[in-house]
Amino acid sequence: MEALLDFSHATGIYAFMHSAWGWPIVESLHFIGLSLLVGTVGLFDLRMIGLAKGIPMSALHKLVPWGVAGYGVNVLTGFMFVTSAPDQYLFNPAFQTKLALMGIAGVNVLFFYRFLFGAVQAAGASANASSTTKVVAAISLSCWIGVIVCGRLITYYRPPYHWCFWC
Amino acid sequence: MEYLVWVEETSFSIWMRESGPAFFGSLILHSVAMGFVVGVHVALDLRILGLAPRIPLSLMRRFFPVLRVSLIAVAVSGVLLLVAYPGKALTNEVFYLKLAIVAAALYITRSLTNRVLQDPSCDSGLVSTRSRWLAAVSLVLWAGAITSGRFLAYTHNMMMASHQY
Repeated sequence: MEALLDFSHATGIYAFMHSAWGWPIVESLHFIGLSLLVGTVGLFDLRMIGLAKGIPMSALHKLVPWGVAGYGVNVLTGFMFVTSAPDQYLFNPAFQTKLALMGIAGVNVLFFYRFLFGAVQAAGASANASSTTKVVAAISLSCWIGVIVCGRLITYYRPPYHWCFWC
Repeated sequence: MEYLVWVEETSFSIWMRESGPAFFGSLILHSVAMGFVVGVHVALDLRILGLAPRIPLSLMRRFFPVLRVSLIAVAVSGVLLLVAYPGKALTNEVFYLKLAIVAAALYITRSLTNRVLQDPSCDSGLVSTRSRWLAAVSLVLWAGAITSGRFLAYTHNMMMASHQY
């Protein structure tokens, strides 16, 4: 935790985040990144689950790099939050759950690209995805919605009324 | 100011403030639903701008049920949050800015729906420059709606009209 704070101070992140508008500016960017992810990966998931048939899944997938960009923005902005107030995050069950859900989503996406993506790319415009693909898409969508819920809940749990998996 | 105090003192407003599940449930619903409202617009606007050109534009309307449900959820949760702290929002200019931005963005969506999504020739061909400009403005407006929403938590003049500080 000290190391995170030292890093934040040394890089100027801390000073910026605790300036007059630093925190809300970064929060806004974090929400814009989230919307990019929901609008691309989320809609791709919904199509695989069975919504909006007629749109080829492969065509919709062309938007996913924008979601990856949004994810990148959020890793960066999320890092700025955590290093600027580490005690509010590391001991926070909402933050811990959020990271766990991101981990599940990460494994899920690796599984998807390793085993299912080929068939999805080759499928026709109105094709049904396989049941496994539907389950994987539903896991993805649930994880990302859960990540947003936990992100919002971080402000609900305020340490020192905390617990964590390792303390 | 009296009517703000009156709203704050209704038992429903007190419950919204004091019940963790009611207040945070509304906050969460507002955030998730706003993510989907902006998300559907991101996909629609990027497609109109020429990205992912193999998506048949008219079929993007098949995501509109998601948009409609999300808009209703945003509105309902927004009203609940407003009832919890009416003075906080209604005495802050940023709140009216946010509403104006959302109204303008939705007006553009309506215009793009009539102009582009109902025109079969747009499915494969290029969309007019004017519509692409509208899509770009839409993206900027939604970023503005998010930003003004976030800034509401930092720019309010009071938390409650009944005991100002």
